[in-house]
Amino acid sequence: MTALLLGALGLTLSLVVPGALAAARWPDRAPAAAVVLWQSITLAGILCALGVVLAAPQELVHELGSGKPVGVAALIAALGVAALIIIRLLVSLAGVTYRSRTRRARHRMLVDLLDDAERHGELPAEVPPGLRVLDGPLPFAYCLPGRNPRVVVSGGALRILDSSQVAAVIAHEQAHLRHRHDLVMESFTAFYRAVPRPLRSRAPLDAVHLLVEMVADDAARRRCGAEPLRTALAVLGDAVSPDAPAEARGDAEQERRRRTARLAGPDGRSLAWSALSVTLAVSLLVLPTVIIVVPWLGRALMAWPF
Amino acid sequence: MALGDLEREVMQQLWDAGEPLTVRQVHERLSRSRDLAYTTVMTVLDRLAKKGVVLQQKADRAYRYAPAQSREEMTAALMLDALSAAPDGVRDAALAHFVGRIDPSALTAAIEAARKPAG
Repeated sequence: MTALLLGALGLTLSLVVPGALAAARWPDRAPAAAVVLWQSITLAGILCALGVVLAAPQELVHELGSGKPVGVAALIAALGVAALIIIRLLVSLAGVTYRSRTRRARHRMLVDLLDDAERHGELPAEVPPGLRVLDGPLPFAYCLPGRNPRVVVSGGALRILDSSQVAAVIAHEQAHLRHRHDLVMESFTAFYRAVPRPLRSRAPLDAVHLLVEMVADDAARRRCGAEPLRTALAVLGDAVSPDAPAEARGDAEQERRRRTARLAGPDGRSLAWSALSVTLAVSLLVLPTVIIVVPWLGRALMAWPF
Repeated sequence: MALGDLEREVMQQLWDAGEPLTVRQVHERLSRSRDLAYTTVMTVLDRLAKKGVVLQQKADRAYRYAPAQSREEMTAALMLDALSAAPDGVRDAALAHFVGRIDPSALTAAIEAARKPAG
């Protein structure tokens, strides 16, 4: 019974809930709390999988009334599979972390050598220490996270943005760095890669990516106001996909429009939605443990074959 | 002066020169504006060679140094790396773009644009 309950919960959390949450619009009003909820859903899904793997053999052995050798074999197999799941997740996380670290280190070294900030008078008066200007025609801006972070703005971006827009873009990128959004994205990427292909879903990865952009938007809005940020997003967004008609631009354009819409009106962040989202996140981890896992653990330890 | 700034200036001298330079030549060019030890320049060039951005050639019993790529080539390569790091194809989340995700079609256009020399 425990294994069935956990299995049903796990399938719901990995197949039904992500689609529904990704389609919902309330996370726009509580992006940081929604990230916490996504983390909780993902973690609860993993814990359910581990719970099924551990509980199912024990319960089957118990129901069938098999002897001690079968019970021992089932227990060892269950522990082995559980360990395999955990190892797979950790290996994926280590791989993603290692690859992005080395890539960033190389990128940072080159961007430091190519930095052209001194020649650009259009930069804001107080240039943050990690700012680098890459002199190229393409207008874009990004941040390079890590212990020694950089914010990179291209010469093309400086040409088409005014100084208040540049300041807003920099504030947005600095918020990513300050809040360590790279760690959030790395953990979701690692999880995505660790899940076997037929069960994989991009929904959490894409949704969390959009949400951290919104968190950074909110931070930049507090410092520089909504208008420069909104117009900078429109200008740079158009520059990235210049020729495509608006309806053919796909998900990326949809996401930019959602961010722009948030910045067009008054600050729509809601404490109530944040509180609800965090409460849900905590309950998802605590309630199944207390209601399903703890009683089973009591029974299972009584029947411990050693 | 920070080592990073010095590396950048040495690279700039090599790019501006248009031909391989000896340590002495780089030292002379940099010394016009400030006081700098010869050994410091040697160390910096050695570091840049280890990083693979500067090539070391031996000619006439002296080492000469040249940039591995022109400034424009290196900029284009870096832009390409930055753009293809967009988390769209679930590349590893190495960096975060201001505009968020970039459509694959837009990426192709952007890469074409980045290949053209700056100017």
